[in-house]
Amino acid sequence: MKAMELASPAPAALATESPKRPSPLRELWSFRQLIALLVVRELKVRYKRSVLGLLWTMLNPLLLMVVYTVVFSTIWRSSFRNFSLFLLSALLPWLFFNTAVLQGLFAVISNQELIRKVRLPQAVFPLSVVGSNLVNFALSLVPLFLVMAALDQPFTPALLFLPVAMFILTVFTSGVTLFFATATVFFRDVRHLVEVMLQMVMYLSPVFYDLRTLGEPTTWWFPLFKTCLQLNPLTYMFSLIRDPVYYGRLPELSTVVIACSAAVFSLVVGFFFFQRLSPRHIHYL
Amino acid sequence: MRKGEIIIRDVGVCFRLYREKVTTLKEAVVHRFRHLRSAENFWALRHVNVSITPGEAIALVGHNGSGKSTLLKTIAGVLQPREGEVLSAGRISPMIELGAGFDPELSGRDNVYLNGALLGFSRKQMEAKFDGIVAFSELGDFIDMPIKNYSSGMYARLGFAIAQDVEPDILIVDEVLAVGDERFQEKCKARILDFRSAGVTFCFVSHNLEAARSLCPRAAVLHHGRLAFDGPIEQAWEKYRELERGPMPGPQINVAAS
Repeated sequence: MKAMELASPAPAALATESPKRPSPLRELWSFRQLIALLVVRELKVRYKRSVLGLLWTMLNPLLLMVVYTVVFSTIWRSSFRNFSLFLLSALLPWLFFNTAVLQGLFAVISNQELIRKVRLPQAVFPLSVVGSNLVNFALSLVPLFLVMAALDQPFTPALLFLPVAMFILTVFTSGVTLFFATATVFFRDVRHLVEVMLQMVMYLSPVFYDLRTLGEPTTWWFPLFKTCLQLNPLTYMFSLIRDPVYYGRLPELSTVVIACSAAVFSLVVGFFFFQRLSPRHIHYL
Repeated sequence: MRKGEIIIRDVGVCFRLYREKVTTLKEAVVHRFRHLRSAENFWALRHVNVSITPGEAIALVGHNGSGKSTLLKTIAGVLQPREGEVLSAGRISPMIELGAGFDPELSGRDNVYLNGALLGFSRKQMEAKFDGIVAFSELGDFIDMPIKNYSSGMYARLGFAIAQDVEPDILIVDEVLAVGDERFQEKCKARILDFRSAGVTFCFVSHNLEAARSLCPRAAVLHHGRLAFDGPIEQAWEKYRELERGPMPGPQINVAAS
């Protein structure tokens, strides 16, 4: 066996003309319609045989909000005006991020049948998960606006910033989703790690509170907590949405710049890792 | 390179076999990543050189586990070779498995569009092809039923109907002709002959001499991941028979130097 290997020709030099392989980004772009179809498939399959169908997407946050409003206005009294709206303006983007990352963990694994048989950029699977959750997120804005109207919250022009905010958050979420999707292929227990981490991140993110309203600055843990929040990219992401919805103003320029940088960084790192590791996925599925 | 050309240059495809399957971080840490060192390399293909010119038809033969399917998957781009390279030009229609990527919950119609997108077609292009695909599949009104209600024959018919309509430059077929009833098989064969006369490059895996001979004048024989013979199909078949009669040592595993 060994002798045979030695006798065989050495690997051919790469000098001869190779046809240009498409760059990963261009290849992904040529499959954009597949991503759209996968999003449609996910929505169709998810709401199959359910009477209310897509309405659930809107009912879900509404019901959640009723629960939180009751809890926070009776049991744990909050000094916030329209606390439920304050909460919802960060809870909706959080749910989007959280669900996309969690579902994305299995995006590659659950499509292994296809990956074994058809050549395609595997990033379409995690990205379509982000896409279908983005649709849900966008639909959940309808009940959000209903609540705003019911609570006499002013509709300001700052709300026009929302699509930009959602775009930035989507870019950020895509990077994180891609990163953990490829990690799960190699170690299945990434899932449990991520589940716990997401819980921690939720409490370390300004969902139930706000940087400005955070406890007594004199307590020992305050500076630590504040640093945590300032380092957490989600703090800036949520500001992009909470500022227009709850405070009726545009987010500060510095917030936008930090959020954009975090989003680009996340996508570049996530996509790079995914792209580098995806040829090896097939051996671990 | 011209469209439809395939160059397989010193290709080696290696699978890492793990004595202990480690899928959790805890196991990996407990064993201090020993599994990475104790992994053994199994070369499913090694030092394979084949050049296929546009419009040529080649059959890949070999006993079970000789690397035929691995080679097809490497040509299709599903597997990346560890050594060497596979160069191909043009659109590849892989019929490695019919109906790969069908979602059982969706209707036949939705699956046609989904499958088209998987092969890189836009919605517009698929709309133009849709009626032809339904006609070829002979599914009629069933096209709007969820695929999970299909019989296996209907499933395969729809799969073939899509695969035959993607205007490939290279057609890769892995013994999928054994689907549907005899009449439909004849129809599939006729369609493949159409492709052949239209100058499509054709790679075919088969254990059936009759099927292979009627489609391919050339054959490559694989034996334990090596190319044992490449030439006219009659001689290739003799070589295949001879190898089959010979001792069967089973797949070789080379322990990786760690």
